[in-house]
Amino acid sequence: MWQALHAELEPLGITVVTVAMDTVVDMATPWIDLAEPTHPSLIDTAHVTGDLFGFMNVPMAVWIDEHGTIVRPAELASLEARVLREVPEGTPERIVQMMAEVNKLPDVGAAYRAAVLDWAEHGTASRYALSPDEVVARSQPANADRARAAACFELGQHLLHTVGPDAAVPWWREAHRLFPENFTYKRQAWTLVTTPDGAEAPDLIQGPNDVYEGNWLDDVRAVGGGARYYPASDLL
Amino acid sequence: MILDTLVSDATAFAARTGWDAKPQGLCRGEVCVPAPSSLLADGRVDVQIAAERLGMPLVHDEGHGVWALGPATGGRALSSAVAADPVLQTRDGDSFQLSSLRGRRLIMIAWASW
Repeated sequence: MWQALHAELEPLGITVVTVAMDTVVDMATPWIDLAEPTHPSLIDTAHVTGDLFGFMNVPMAVWIDEHGTIVRPAELASLEARVLREVPEGTPERIVQMMAEVNKLPDVGAAYRAAVLDWAEHGTASRYALSPDEVVARSQPANADRARAAACFELGQHLLHTVGPDAAVPWWREAHRLFPENFTYKRQAWTLVTTPDGAEAPDLIQGPNDVYEGNWLDDVRAVGGGARYYPASDLL
Repeated sequence: MILDTLVSDATAFAARTGWDAKPQGLCRGEVCVPAPSSLLADGRVDVQIAAERLGMPLVHDEGHGVWALGPATGGRALSSAVAADPVLQTRDGDSFQLSSLRGRRLIMIAWASW
């Protein structure tokens, strides 16, 4: 999807840059190889782009102009219309409940694509390109707890690689406690404990486990359900 | 930012935090916070002083002798519209910075395998 967008926008002067927020590089590379990207395709093992740009879930994106100035802060980025997903009979109840939340996700695909194309055509004159003051004002809220959560998460990922999972867990639990709306911290941690050894793909159900207090379904409900899973988009 | 000592190379500090240590203070874009003693005589940054001046949390794992410095707490995730320029890695492990694409407009999209 992002490679197709890049191919469309590159002649118009816009380069797509993807950043995989994956602490374990080998979990991201198969997906990158599958996409055969011709755009910069980066990996952010420490989730530094999260606190530097305000990503708190994926997919989210920022727009940066030719001078290195952000013209749209981090927001939900999607190009596809949301399709209500039918749940086959016999599906486990937990997955049925998860799909009910997924079906409530904001449907920004058409609006986001229209905004991107408007910026491609009109540049700084686009009504979607914001002033520096608007960018700062519309960026995600920050406070002492969220800043501390970022430090705890980064310390945890560092210890994961240098010491081992047991050293990371207390710091990641603390990051989850301090910033409960941040699903990059949570989904990253959950998938590492709920994905079976040797599995070909990461576990996306991320159910209850005995390492972390939360899990995908209960934590999404705790922030208000699928409709509140991402920060509100002003494109809708 | 991961640290095993509370003194940092100024270039690494700027790349990771977005804040440049200058004689007039710690600066990001046009925003400068006075911090006269954070820039050391050898050009490095006293991280404890910088953290205090910018309201950055500094967490410490005593058992493993390592610190992590969190972002400045200015009320919003962005304190300036100037894009930070962290060192990221490519699929093949090479270093990459957004500034290498200066002159082009960018859409930077965060995704993940999970």
